[in-house]
Amino acid sequence: MLPEVTKDPVCYSCGTEPSSANKTGEWRFLTPEKDIRLSPCRQGCLLDGEIPAWLEAVKNGRWEEAWQIMSRYNPFPALTGYVCFHPCTENCNRGQLDQEIEIHAVERAIGEWRLENYKRVDRPKEVKGQAAVVGSGPAGLSCAYYLNQGGYEVTVFEREKVIGGMFALGIPEYRLPRKVLKKELSVLEEEGIRFVSGCHVGQDVSLSGLYEDYDTVFLAPGAWKPRKAGIPGEESGGVWNALDFLSLLNKGHQPEIADPVVVIGGGNAALDSARSALRMSNVNHVKLIYRRSRTEMPANQAEVEAAEHEGVELIFNALPRKIEEEGKIKEITFDFCKTNLKGLVVDQSRSFEEKCGTVIMALGQEIDPSIFGEPVKDSLFYAGGDFTSGPATVPDAIRAGRIAAMTIIARDAGLPEPDLMLPDLEPVAFEELNLEAKINLSLQQSQAKPDEEAGRCLGCGTCNSCGICYIFCPDMAVEKVDNRYQLNMDYCKGCGICVKECPARAMVMEGGME
Amino acid sequence: MKIEELNRESEMLYSGHNACPGCGAALAVRYLTRALGPDLAIVLTASCWSIISGMPPLTALKCPILHCPFPSAGSVGSGVKRGLVAKGKPDTTVVVLAGDGGTFDIGLQALSGAAQRNEDYIFVCYDNEAYMNTGMQTSSATPFGARTATAPYPLFKAGQKKDIMQIMAAHSIPYAATATVAFPEDMEEKLKKAKKISGFRFIHILSPCPPGWGTESADTIQISRLAVNTGFFPLYEIRDGVSWEMTLKPDRSRIPLKEYLGAQRRFKQMDDRRIEILQEEVDHDWECLMEKVNTAD
Ligand SMILES: Cc1cc2nc3c(=O)[nH]c(=O)nc-3n(C[C@H](O)[C@H](O)[C@H](O)COP(=O)(O)OP(=O)(O)OC[C@H]3O[C@@H](n4cnc5c(N)ncnc54)[C@H](O)[C@@H]3O)c2cc1C
Ligand SMILES: Cc1ncc(C[n+]2csc(CCOP(=O)(O)OP(=O)(O)O)c2C)c(N)n1
Ligand code: SF4
Ligand code: SF4
Ligand code: SF4
Ligand SMILES: [Mg+2]
Repeated sequence: MLPEVTKDPVCYSCGTEPSSANKTGEWRFLTPEKDIRLSPCRQGCLLDGEIPAWLEAVKNGRWEEAWQIMSRYNPFPALTGYVCFHPCTENCNRGQLDQEIEIHAVERAIGEWRLENYKRVDRPKEVKGQAAVVGSGPAGLSCAYYLNQGGYEVTVFEREKVIGGMFALGIPEYRLPRKVLKKELSVLEEEGIRFVSGCHVGQDVSLSGLYEDYDTVFLAPGAWKPRKAGIPGEESGGVWNALDFLSLLNKGHQPEIADPVVVIGGGNAALDSARSALRMSNVNHVKLIYRRSRTEMPANQAEVEAAEHEGVELIFNALPRKIEEEGKIKEITFDFCKTNLKGLVVDQSRSFEEKCGTVIMALGQEIDPSIFGEPVKDSLFYAGGDFTSGPATVPDAIRAGRIAAMTIIARDAGLPEPDLMLPDLEPVAFEELNLEAKINLSLQQSQAKPDEEAGRCLGCGTCNSCGICYIFCPDMAVEKVDNRYQLNMDYCKGCGICVKECPARAMVMEGGME
Repeated sequence: MKIEELNRESEMLYSGHNACPGCGAALAVRYLTRALGPDLAIVLTASCWSIISGMPPLTALKCPILHCPFPSAGSVGSGVKRGLVAKGKPDTTVVVLAGDGGTFDIGLQALSGAAQRNEDYIFVCYDNEAYMNTGMQTSSATPFGARTATAPYPLFKAGQKKDIMQIMAAHSIPYAATATVAFPEDMEEKLKKAKKISGFRFIHILSPCPPGWGTESADTIQISRLAVNTGFFPLYEIRDGVSWEMTLKPDRSRIPLKEYLGAQRRFKQMDDRRIEILQEEVDHDWECLMEKVNTAD
């Protein structure tokens, strides 16, 4: 007699228990595993940030996690999201498919999310030491952040009344809203960092005094000494130095400027001066005159284009010889000038005069080694930012602050000096990505919403939870947990499909595949 | 197919089934049952899938499976569907699952009869191009030039692969389509379409078989993709036997067949002359298909 069929319509002949009782993973002789490789964006990032990892977190709406990953390398994404010139994006592999990921836009969104959602958490803190940071620019702030996280009581000394270094005094408000900076600083204060403003180290307190009073001192006074042209008339009235002009403006004053304005220089300070001058109510004409050609300008090209678009007139290959005064009018004589293999070649026979009301000299800044009124000794190692590198960038300075903090923390813990350099590896090339399974590959161009924009990231060596491995595993051995994918070795037969198909190249076969 | 919506619960296939590593047929049935389930009954002929599905009391699928004699799939499917209707369960989707042997060869007369009667179920042929379960004997679905157990090296399958889709079209069934595992979205769309249509529906799924074809298990998807992109296995659908439509044009202009053949050890003895013969055949079929597609619209 046939057994009675109880679970209609389940037919008794085909079995009733899931085959998952069968641990077919035992058949496996090759094992796939998740891998991480260097992405081109990360290679390009001046902060070494784990870009694809935080993009993945944002794509899945995990903002807290994105912030955690971000802050391992960049504690100020809201600020860098505005001012970093994002070389990461230039390298982005997606550019070869359609359009680069707007990495900095997502970065800024993470920063803004963090500032909005910040809540102070009282952590029991075992004080590791007292630290003094000199200079409150990006290098000083970054070092202060990481030292504070590492258990130090940190005091930041700043000679200016405002905190923030170039964030506050160099970079104009139209490029970095001051409310973002303010919020960032208030978070740092809430986290327990002490700021002493208006205190010039070397005048108001001595550097040696700091070394006596603190366990650790980090020097980040930047590079503020203006480079001079060494030409007659440079010191006369109505001739401004770019940083003086910008910091006065940024402090909320109205520097005395007469129309038309000539800015001399080709770096970012020149561009910021020109664009800031043009924004003043009494200024109608701004010319920016640079001694080399357009392509040789050290300034960020997007800035140059923006200036031109706003109406700044650009003149190239002209070197100032002298500045003369005729009442309120200044007359600058320029000589034709160009670069060849030998360097700068000046041709005084081809010169011209430029009349204006104000001259802004933006010839760059230098390090001032005598800034503290006493020599900086062997402890120079705990210094960073523009002060050691010469004028560089905000992310360079943030990175220097982090490396210094990590080194100090390791030293005090009796650990060997950490190696904080990214290994010099070949990043994942566009050609290596496997984009054939166009499933789940967001094919839109740039998106306004940060999570959608992050969803366009191809991963390039980091799992971006696209789910291709899940889709193609014949054994359902890729588990989906909270929209992320993990291997389940109970059932993986080691076929290698997931490794082969992973678009991001974020998987390898243990011991190779071929 | 929205990946966000997929999870273990939405799948009908369990882990722990008995397919070889990298099995295309396992994937095909995973996609198929997910698209057609959960109210689904499967009629299965003797084939690799009889083994993959597990030995009682274990089963690899969340739906009932009725194992049936090799040549009888077409008729058993008819009976199961009619039986379910008689029992007041007209909504259960009935799928007959058969290999290429069970479809192109030994199952052909029952299949033809059911198609001609326009029985209300979906016949799915997962085509691994030989009798794989018994050790890779030639079937009429084996392509020209392939080495099999019954045409061992240096011999090879001499005739062309039978054009099962034209046979099905000649039955004027409401819906017939081709699909393969590298294009799960395309496959799912076709199955969902088929599910909404009543009458006889036929789905032909090319399912790479790593041990039988002599491919790396990791290459299953890539091989399936190449089959489409070389034009060897075009993806299309046919309505009422007359309206032919491509669903997925090859990515680039068709890749030379050589790339597809070269990746499979079963074609090892193919010299340039034979490759050319097969290439010409594929080109010819492609042109015929294009003609049908073009006259249809
Ligand atoms: C106009 C301008 C625009 C720029 N725009 C950009 C940009 O858009 N993106 C970008 O990446 N980079 C930009 N840069 C470069 C970038 O701002 C700097 O590389 C970066 O700020 C350097 O950081 P830092 O912390 O080393 O120094 P700074 O930011 O210069 O900070 C040093 C701080 O130390 C203080 N200090 C100096 N001496 C003492 C002392 N003795 N005692 C106490 N405090 C002292 C200073 O007042 C200052 O606040 C710009 C630079 C300029 C000049
Ligand atoms: C009448 C009959 N003849 C022969 C067999 C032995 N047999 C079992 S499976 C199989 C091969 C089936 O080939 P195919 O239909 O292509 O499915 P595949 O195994 O390739 O998946 C054969 C010949 C059988 N079960 N019944
Ligand atoms: S696609 Fe993503 S991981 Fe790849 S380079 Fe661009 S941002 Fe980086
Ligand atoms: S596709 Fe599945 S079975 Fe194959 S190696 Fe990857 S996890 Fe294992
Ligand atoms: S296939 Fe997608 S989800 Fe799987 S490992 Fe690669 S990137 Fe991650
Ligand atoms: Mg077969």
